[in-house]
Amino acid sequence: MIAQIRAELLKVRSTRTTIGVVLGMLGLILLFSLLAGLVARPGELTGRASQLQLLNIGNLAGAFSAIAGLLLVTSEYRHGTIRPTVLFTPARPRMLAAKLLAAALTGAAFGVAGEGLGWAIGYTILKSRGIPFALTSNDIELLGIGAIAGVATWATIGAALGAIVRNQVAGIIALLVWGFVIDNLLHEYVPSIGRFTPARAENALSNMRTAHLLSPAVGGLVLLAWIALLAMIALPLTAKRDIA
Amino acid sequence: MGAVVIAESLTKRFGSVLAVEDLSFALTAGTITGFLGPNGAGKTTTLRMLLGLSSPDSGRALVFDRPYAKLERPALRIGAVLEATDFHPGRSGRDHLRMLGRAVELPDSRADEVLALVELAGAARRRVKGYSLGMRQRLGLAAALLGDPELLVLDEPANGLDPEGVRWLRDFLRSFASEGRTVLISSHVLAEVAQTVDQVLIINRGRLVIESALAELTARIEVRVRSAHPDDLAAVLAREGLDATRNGDDTLLVAGATSERVGEIAFAAGIAVHELIGEASSLEDSFLQLTAGPTQ
Repeated sequence: MIAQIRAELLKVRSTRTTIGVVLGMLGLILLFSLLAGLVARPGELTGRASQLQLLNIGNLAGAFSAIAGLLLVTSEYRHGTIRPTVLFTPARPRMLAAKLLAAALTGAAFGVAGEGLGWAIGYTILKSRGIPFALTSNDIELLGIGAIAGVATWATIGAALGAIVRNQVAGIIALLVWGFVIDNLLHEYVPSIGRFTPARAENALSNMRTAHLLSPAVGGLVLLAWIALLAMIALPLTAKRDIA
Repeated sequence: MGAVVIAESLTKRFGSVLAVEDLSFALTAGTITGFLGPNGAGKTTTLRMLLGLSSPDSGRALVFDRPYAKLERPALRIGAVLEATDFHPGRSGRDHLRMLGRAVELPDSRADEVLALVELAGAARRRVKGYSLGMRQRLGLAAALLGDPELLVLDEPANGLDPEGVRWLRDFLRSFASEGRTVLISSHVLAEVAQTVDQVLIINRGRLVIESALAELTARIEVRVRSAHPDDLAAVLAREGLDATRNGDDTLLVAGATSERVGEIAFAAGIAVHELIGEASSLEDSFLQLTAGPTQ
């Protein structure tokens, strides 16, 4: 399994697509962090919840991480490399597991980069504007660990979704529609259900303080449940489908 | 030697189209087998079933006595190229091979070795989108050779190769088979196959038409005989058990006979012969005869 994971990680590293996704992610986090930190009045950034929001802008990495995970699978079908991949690893459940784990590791790297940048910019802005730091060490630990785990989870969700749909465009549209439309509608109008979506579970895991969120521990369990559900759907499809 | 590849009653249907029907054959170690058939005959579908990429509706395919997917690290025994386009265009040829090699725990240096073997070392670090079709064919072959396999399965490997490349491929396959290894090669380039393979499998509309040694297939002699009395000559030949068909006003084509025998029969019957030519059947002739009829 380690051999297959190493192979998958090399796939991620060996094309410029990944570099483009990472640069897009860092650019967006930089922009949003600067806007949020510099446009707000100092009084709006003194509270614990508002500082958590500012320092957690890096969780935008989740969207890019999900796309990277999706591409790890769908680009294989798009470019036909799935054929040599399966010829070299014909045990398809093992191949899928390697992809999900490689996606998680890739997502964790995205999380470290994205959250690290967001945190560094947010902290620098607070300090440079003379705003007292309101977060406890527990807040910072949960924010760091939770946010990075959440971003890693998104990559795994993207890879599992990719294994289900196989088509790159369909996968990206599905992610965008879910993330920007359905998730928000559920959270806004049916919060009792919306709190269980991956995005809200990720927020809960990061110890965010917005309304209707689960506790960090339950948020983490819900994210794991999402991965398990998608993997259980992807597994038989990957194992049984013919590869054209 | 035992069979390296066994196909037993393979059948595969796509919707209403029966792509492969009750197809059985076996490949012996150390041979180069040409897998021939017109477009849509079911060649690629058969190769995919052999390699575990698709499942037969019935029947089974065994490679080294087991289904491909049940073999432990099969890439170390079997190399295959199904498409010349199975590459990410933004990845270098070397990285493509490294990523495949890592899945079976081969060192990165093996990628460099096979790149040198297929004469692509100079383009190893270039992205594949800058490769010509011939270079992609070579890269595909390099991927198949990564595990130093005993069996090569190649689908149309000569496509895109220039004449020098075709000769290189032919020499390479000959050298490969001379080490006791086995090659199954699907191709439309019949002239190329005729110079490379030991035996042929010809399929048409999903069914096996013939499994034969190439020498036997092309040893069938046809005699072209011209006479002022072709009908009389045809009747005499028929009495001798030879099947003669008219080809033009004064010419007969006689299958399965030598020119000497046809000449002697005509002489004994007192029929003057103006021209007598013995012709060996080519692979192309055999292919066209055996696959005549509509494809799916």
